[in-house]
Formats: sequence, C-alpha cells, structure tokens
Amino acid sequence: MEERIARFVAGLRASGVRVSIAESRDAWEAITYLGVIDKSAFRLALRSTLIKESADFETFDELFPLYFGIDAPPLMNPQAELSPDEQALLNEALEAFAGDLSELLNWLLSGQGPTEEELRDLADQAGLKHADSPYQARWYARRMQRLLGWERLPELLEMLWEWLAERGMDPQQIEQLKRQVAENMEALRGQLERFAGQRIEENRVEQYHERRQTAHDLMQRPFNSLSETEMDVLREQVRRLAARLRSRAALRQKRATQGKLDAKSTLRANLKYGGVPMELRLKRRRLKPKLVVLLDVSTSMRSVSEFFLRLMYELGDQVQKTHSFAFIDHLEDVTHDMRTLRPDAAVEAVLDRLPAGYYNTDLGSSLSQFIADHLATVDRRTTVIVLGDGRNNHNNPRLDALDTIKRRARRVIWMNPEYPAQWGTGDSDMLLYAPLCDDVHTVRNLQQLTDAIDAILG
Amino acid sequence: MFESVQMVKECLEAEQYIASEDIATVVYLAERLGKPLLLEGPAGVGKTELSKAVAGATGRELVRLQCYEGLDESKALYEWEYAKQMLYTQLLRDKLSDLLADAESLTEAADRLAAEEDVFFSERFLLERPLLKAIHSDHPVVLLIDEIDRADAEFEAFLLEVLSDFQVSIPEIGTIRSDPDLLPCVFLTSNNTRELSEALKRRCLYLYIDYPTVAEELQIVRLKVPDLEPELARQAVEAVHNLRAMDLKKNPSVSETLDWARALVTLNARALSREVLENTLTVLLKYEADVARARRILRGPGGSSRGGSEHGPEPPRGGREWS
Repeated sequence: MEERIARFVAGLRASGVRVSIAESRDAWEAITYLGVIDKSAFRLALRSTLIKESADFETFDELFPLYFGIDAPPLMNPQAELSPDEQALLNEALEAFAGDLSELLNWLLSGQGPTEEELRDLADQAGLKHADSPYQARWYARRMQRLLGWERLPELLEMLWEWLAERGMDPQQIEQLKRQVAENMEALRGQLERFAGQRIEENRVEQYHERRQTAHDLMQRPFNSLSETEMDVLREQVRRLAARLRSRAALRQKRATQGKLDAKSTLRANLKYGGVPMELRLKRRRLKPKLVVLLDVSTSMRSVSEFFLRLMYELGDQVQKTHSFAFIDHLEDVTHDMRTLRPDAAVEAVLDRLPAGYYNTDLGSSLSQFIADHLATVDRRTTVIVLGDGRNNHNNPRLDALDTIKRRARRVIWMNPEYPAQWGTGDSDMLLYAPLCDDVHTVRNLQQLTDAIDAILG
Repeated sequence: MFESVQMVKECLEAEQYIASEDIATVVYLAERLGKPLLLEGPAGVGKTELSKAVAGATGRELVRLQCYEGLDESKALYEWEYAKQMLYTQLLRDKLSDLLADAESLTEAADRLAAEEDVFFSERFLLERPLLKAIHSDHPVVLLIDEIDRADAEFEAFLLEVLSDFQVSIPEIGTIRSDPDLLPCVFLTSNNTRELSEALKRRCLYLYIDYPTVAEELQIVRLKVPDLEPELARQAVEAVHNLRAMDLKKNPSVSETLDWARALVTLNARALSREVLENTLTVLLKYEADVARARRILRGPGGSSRGGSEHGPEPPRGGREWS
C-alpha cells in the first residue's frame, strides 16, 4: 500500500500537482488512522493531505480511480455447477475447438483470467509501451482484444453450444454456461481496459521524470536553439517556475533592509528608550508594481515573448495591473487578450494579431505610436518593460520617445536576448537605448528570463 | 479526544453544527495528526462556525485572531507595556531606595537589585495577543486565524514560524514554549482572494467547504430555525438553490439562507408566494444588480426557476406557445 501511495504521488506530480515529501508522509500517517476499508474516508484522507488547492481537485479525481480503483470484477468459474460428466464433455469440446482462440476460450470457460505476465505480454504486443495519453486506454484495450481474436468469439461460441447440445448436454446447463461466459467476457474486457489505463499511467510518470531532467538542462539553452518539442517541455515548467518566484517574492518581503522610515513602529519600538529613536524601523511593505510591457514579437523574438507572457500570466497576483502591448512594425494593444483568455489561448491570440512575416521590426515607430496613443497607462508607479533586441532595421530609433516614457515612469527595464558584445553590431541601436534604461537584463534562456522577472518583482 | 469520525459528527451536531462526512473526517484527521486545518470556500458557508463548534464540542476556549492587511507581529503576538513599566518604576522608587539603603558597596546594591529583577522583567507587563495567548495558555485552546488571505505575505511567513514550533522569544523575558500536551488546535480560514504561500499550505490539512446540498441545507435550517414550517423550509431552501444556479455577482450563502428563514418566520409567511419572495429578496441578495436580475428572471418569460410553489399551472408565456 505504501508503494501504491508513492506511485500515486508520482502520478500527481507528473500531472502538475506540487506535492512535497512531508505531505506524502502525512498521507501515509492519515491512512494509519482512518484505515483503507472505508473507501470514501480513505479517499478523503489522501485528498486533504495531498491536495492543497481547489483547482487540483479535478486532477485528483481523475487519477484516484486509476491507482486505487475498484478492481474489475473477477471472472467466475462456469464449470462450478457442472457434473463431472458435463465437465468432461466441456473439456472434449475445448480440445475439439482448439485453435488460436484456445487461450481466450480457456480463460472464459475456466474462470481463470490472464495472469499479470500474460497481460504484460499482450500489452507489449499491442504497442502499449508508447502510449502516453489516458484517453487512449480504451483504444489500446480494443487492440488487445483484437490480438486475442475477440471478433471471432461469438461465432465460435455458437458452434460450441450447438456441439454440446448435440452431444446431449442439458439445455438449461447450456443456458447457464452461456450466461456465465457472457459475464466473463464483460469482466475480461474491463480487466483489459483497466490494465491498459494503468500501463499508460506508468508510462506517463516515467516520461515526466525524463522530461524534468531534460527541462533542467533545457533551461540553460538559448531560446532560438530550441525545437518545438523542447519548447513544449519548457512550457510545462512554467507553472513550477511561477510558484518558485512567488515564494521568493514573499520571503524577500520579510527580509527587506531598505525602505522608508515607518514612524509608527519606530516610536513603538523605542518606547523603552523614552521615545528617543535609537532603533529605526523601516517600511518593509512593498506595493505591488504596475507594469507596462512592450513585447517584440518578430520571428527572432517570438519564443522569448511567448515565455514572458506565460510567466506573467501565472504571476498575475504579484502585480497590481499589467498593460501589454505587442509590436513588430507597429504597436497592438493586447491587454484585453491577456486578461480574459487562458494562457495558451492568450499567447496564441497575441501572436496571431501580429503574424510574423515579411515585415521588419520598427521599434522607433512603435515607440512613437505608444506615446501618441497609450502614454496615459504610464504613471510614476509604473515599471515599463521592453522586451526586444533593439534591432531597428536602420529606422529612426526615436530615442526621444523612450525618453518621454522614462521621465513619466518609475523605471524602464529592457530585456534583450543578445549579449552586450552584440549590441551596436549591424542594425542594433541597443547602445543608444541602453543609457536611457534603468536596467538592462540579458535573457538568452529561460533561466535568465526567470531571474530577470524575479528582479522586477523583488 | 475524538475517538472516531462518527463521534466528531455527533459532538458537532450537539453544538448545532451539521457537519458533512467530509468535514467530520478531516476534522478528525487534523486532530489526530496534530496539524492545522486550512478551510477554504465561499463566504458564509460555515468555516468560522466550524471552529466555534469544535471549541464548544471539546470544551476548549476559542482564541480568535482576525487578519487584515497590515497586521503585524505586535498586534498578533504580544506587546510590551513600557509605559506601565516606567510608571511602576517611578512609584516604587521610594521602596527601592529603602531596599538599597543599607547596602555597603555598589556591588551589593547591584546584587540586591538583581534579585528583584523579576518584578520588572516579568509577565506583569506583557500584553498577550491571541497568538501568545494560545501558546501560553495553561489549558488547551482552539486557535482560529480568520481570513488569513487578507494578511500579507510577510505575516504568513511569520505565522509559519510560530505554527511550526509553538514557541516565541520575548527579549525581556525569554522563550515561552507551549506544553507539548497542551498544543492548541489551529484552524485557518481563507476566502481565496489571493493565493497563499506554499509553505503555509504544506503545513496544513486542506478542506474546501462548498455550498451544502439541498438536503444538508434543509437540515441546517430545520435545526437553527425550528419555528419555520417544514414544507415552507423546503421551498425556501429550493428557492435559494435556484438563486445560486443563476449567474449572480454574489451567491447567497448559508448564513443568508438562515437570515431569510428567520425573516419568513417573523413575517408569519404561510406560503412562498411570488410577493413574499420579491419583498424579502434583499435579505438574500446584497447587490442591486443581483436583485434586479433575480426579479427579472422570476417575473419574466422562461422563469421556471421558482422553487415550485405556484398554485396551478404556469401561465402561457408568449406567442411561441400558441402553435
């Protein structure tokens, strides 16, 4: 049972639920108090110790039956009611009808289902090694049935019943046999499906562990070198990264050592000194930042922008308000999409609005468009983030526009996937933009992007 | 203390709290495992009531800490009354000089003063706030930390420290530790307005309390408002469930259902007619937009969400019906 719980926890983690070791230990302890006999109490014990967010209840409900489900009803032995003569007759029939369906017939007529070994062999034959989606369970179960020769079974059974009737078996017994075998067929089908489901789940967990290893390495690889599958691997990690950033932000609030003087708590702390401020207390509460984001979504920058959007979506509660704008050669306001749609759909919508194509990045005119239409979104508490490579295709860089923004905003931060050594080469105007920014971060891979966002939130 | 889940249910019922199987099981688990219990759910479903009921059922005192943004250590844990201490020092000055009068050397005087140190550095000047009260109590208590999601992340981190060890260091006195046999039973409630930190969630058992089913809510109404006729109570509960099915800004909670039931008793309502329902709608719905919407749905075509008390068949609803 302990092993099954451990596997269940692994399955939950593979589906994105963050379960810690302490929690799985709690689950085990809870079960020692509630026992495993009462099914609903058992389920509740696991749920209250392992799942700490109502959004994860769905995943729990999906996976629970796969690991702790009611076992498929066992096959019954149809020969239990037969007299020795009748049994002998049945055995004769089985021999007579032996063929490639003999195995299946044997299982159904003796009540002994397939063993674990046999099931595994059958599963391998059906190609279950490569299955990884829980929706495929039924399909694979049917494939396993086909391998056993299931379609020919009804016909064969008809012949069997006729043969037995000819040999003089009691019609009532035959009816009973028919019924039992039909029930066994159902039970066997259930077993196959359940087995397929379990194997697929095992595959999924294995794959998840492999992917996590790779994810860790992939985070260090530059964005433009990633293939689509590798990007998928990283997309799964976004949630985990966001959770980590969130806890880091919370811890940082506690340990802050700078800030404005907090008069109230300074006075209170210095009562023992008769009101003389010997110990200073500083205001540690950071107000949540307001963000305005300008994203370059041209081909070279698409993956960076996508990950930035995903992370910002997850961290929505750390920020008071975000206004998002995407640009290539002109600016589009995408705030509404980001606010109303779910992350995948939102990112797609944003990237659709400005399909990458033959047009060249024109940062300068995008900036001037921004000041013309959207400057009101920037006030003295706003942090403006520009995500771009600063390459302007020799257009006017409109430094004055950036200057206007800088004077209105609290700070301007630039995130550039290129290393400082590449600034100023070719059509890059980065060396002109950089002095106007309060901070420039290099975001070549996901690790650096995460650190940059951490710095902004902190 | 709770021997079984069934016992939890019975004890809570004795305290006028109808607990579902889920709730009773998790409360039992929390007590057995010695872990805090995090209760989440929409407002008014009985999260705070649960902790009160548990306190009553176990005969423990309920210590309540209401969280809000800006809540800090001094208001939650303890405060040192410096002013009082200084006053005492002033008033006792004469006695002090008597005490030290016949000291022969400075060292002896200092020693004598040190012997009396406990007067000034004692709990006499310690103002206990809820958390310290729970830790320091000489009998076990139930600690309720209400609406933890309204406090900020910094307070959460501080709370985590306190909940892990149940001990607190006070510079003037020393460390105050809770007796391991008298650990408080901790409940945290949250309305889910923001995500709590993972570390806090890991520490606790989690329970999501949703709106009760019709049967459960009826049981609650029958228990708390016994004066309401059973049939009327049933209609009322069904009406509330229909309201919840409408897409309202704020769904009526269980406490509002109870208020409404009491209102119906006060108004001596005999049946749940449309008039009574519309007049008392403001007891259930607290937003003008919701009231207007509910009225529209109850009045207008397609309004079959009524709670089933209309006498006779529904009137025809427009041209479409006459085909």
